[in-house]
Amino acid sequence: MFSNTLFLASALLTIGGAIAVVYSKNLMHACIYLLASLFGVAGLYACIGADFLAATQLVVYAGGVVILMLFAIMLTGGTSNKINRYGLEKIPAMGNKKTFFTAGFAALVSAMIIIKILLPVFSVNKVTTLSANESSVEKIGTLLATDHILAFEISSVLLLGALIGAAVISRPRKEIHD
Amino acid sequence: MNSTVVSYFSQSNELTSLIAGLSKLLGFDASSLVAFIIFAIFAGIIVAVMATIGGLGTYAERKISADLQARIGPNRVGPFGLLQFLADGVKMILKEDIITSNADKFTFNLAPVLCLVGVFATLAVVPYSSGFMLADLNVGIFYLVGMASLVGVGVFLGGYASNSKWSMLGGMRGASQIISYEIPATLSIIAIVLLAGGLSMKTLINGQGGAPQDWYLFHNPFAFMGFFVYFISALAETNRAPFDLPEAESELVSGYHTEYTGMKFGLFALAEYIEVFVVCGVAVALFLGGYKVPFDLGSGQILVEKLGLDGMIAQNIGQFLELGSFFTKTLILYYVVIWVRWTLPRLRVDQLMTLCWKYLTPIALFNLIGCAVWMYAFNGKSIFTLLFHAAASGGGHH
Repeated sequence: MFSNTLFLASALLTIGGAIAVVYSKNLMHACIYLLASLFGVAGLYACIGADFLAATQLVVYAGGVVILMLFAIMLTGGTSNKINRYGLEKIPAMGNKKTFFTAGFAALVSAMIIIKILLPVFSVNKVTTLSANESSVEKIGTLLATDHILAFEISSVLLLGALIGAAVISRPRKEIHD
Repeated sequence: MNSTVVSYFSQSNELTSLIAGLSKLLGFDASSLVAFIIFAIFAGIIVAVMATIGGLGTYAERKISADLQARIGPNRVGPFGLLQFLADGVKMILKEDIITSNADKFTFNLAPVLCLVGVFATLAVVPYSSGFMLADLNVGIFYLVGMASLVGVGVFLGGYASNSKWSMLGGMRGASQIISYEIPATLSIIAIVLLAGGLSMKTLINGQGGAPQDWYLFHNPFAFMGFFVYFISALAETNRAPFDLPEAESELVSGYHTEYTGMKFGLFALAEYIEVFVVCGVAVALFLGGYKVPFDLGSGQILVEKLGLDGMIAQNIGQFLELGSFFTKTLILYYVVIWVRWTLPRLRVDQLMTLCWKYLTPIALFNLIGCAVWMYAFNGKSIFTLLFHAAASGGGHH
């Protein structure tokens, strides 16, 4: 009962938020809808008992990513009018007949592949019981430090690269006089 | 859930018989319905109590600042001016709700709500006593950090949506300050998580004892430093002085809530005061022994043995002692926060960022590694245990 309600609420939040992001004309509003959608995803994680993942979703996306996106939008000018100051339309019509046809075909193919993959998931093992109080934190920690140590290290190298890149970009450039 | 208000009450016989009666009456198993009702009642109580604490916070702020500045402070409404916050609330509600014509209305209305939601959502895992907490999540403290970051979004959006330069500067400062200071605060929290070996609030508090030498504050020198790092970062995260740059009156009029009137402004203020309480509560839970009462009075075992009380009554008395312990420590820290605000001058923006990135973050990292090394080297024993052992063995050699 409770988990069903939670699932329905989070799924609605996720999908509704995502649709609102796409249909919103205002970038700032789209970002807020994205926040709602990400909260919904956190709720979905909580539904399947991945409590740590849900909390991480909140910390990383609500706390970090959305604020950074808001910053970026604001610094690059997230105004609501569709025409910029030079009189050009900011959101041009995307594509022509050829691109629409290609995109439709690609969507069809990928949908069939996804259905093919997901079919056994729906047909077999419908019921999985959740142990209510089993924490996933320790398991995730152990797995990260043993089996997936390579991925862990590679992601830390990536973050280090991003950090150095940010430092290089934001550093005041020295003018060379001779 | 493992240990919440509901599971605490389900220990009593009356509730079990009530559930049985209701099940017979309604024709289905009423235990989840009763659990839901208990949960709803206590959620209501907590929200009401916290709103009152937030309101009384404004009163305390004025009264303490008045004391520090040799004034009298509010003294007209009610005894000692205690009802001043109610008068303020009535004033806020009755005021005209102005939305500036160039404001982004949707975001403008959403921002104070986001602030309040972020703060109230954290209340679910604050451990008031061993029986009186709404949810003991396995990832309690992590959830709290995540939810508290919604406040940053609220502050930023409030500044952006007002479409005023002061608000904009305040909002930008607020958001950058909150995400910067989250880092040392979270690193200090992680150090304590390392000592306790778990993220749930219950685990964190059960690792400590009632007496000060059992607190994580005095567990080792690194945790001791970590407390101050956490406290300073928490002050900055809640935008309190000396870090109240987002609302610096002398530069920005009132910062991100310059354009807000009436109850929307009130919601921002309420969220700030409740967040201060939550942050102090977390500091108490992590470093100052949480709700633990000395001599294990909280579980009521001693009362049963010595006074021959009924088990449930003794437990209830223990719960009240624990509530008293938690609230006393938290409110003392609350006092310190207000005291600091009216004592120290405000920092500059560059000083603020320097303090965070060049001092607090390295110190917090050092503390984290120090705690890890301590746990490894001394097998998780606290410094007092080691000293007592040394003293005992030293005495044996005589």
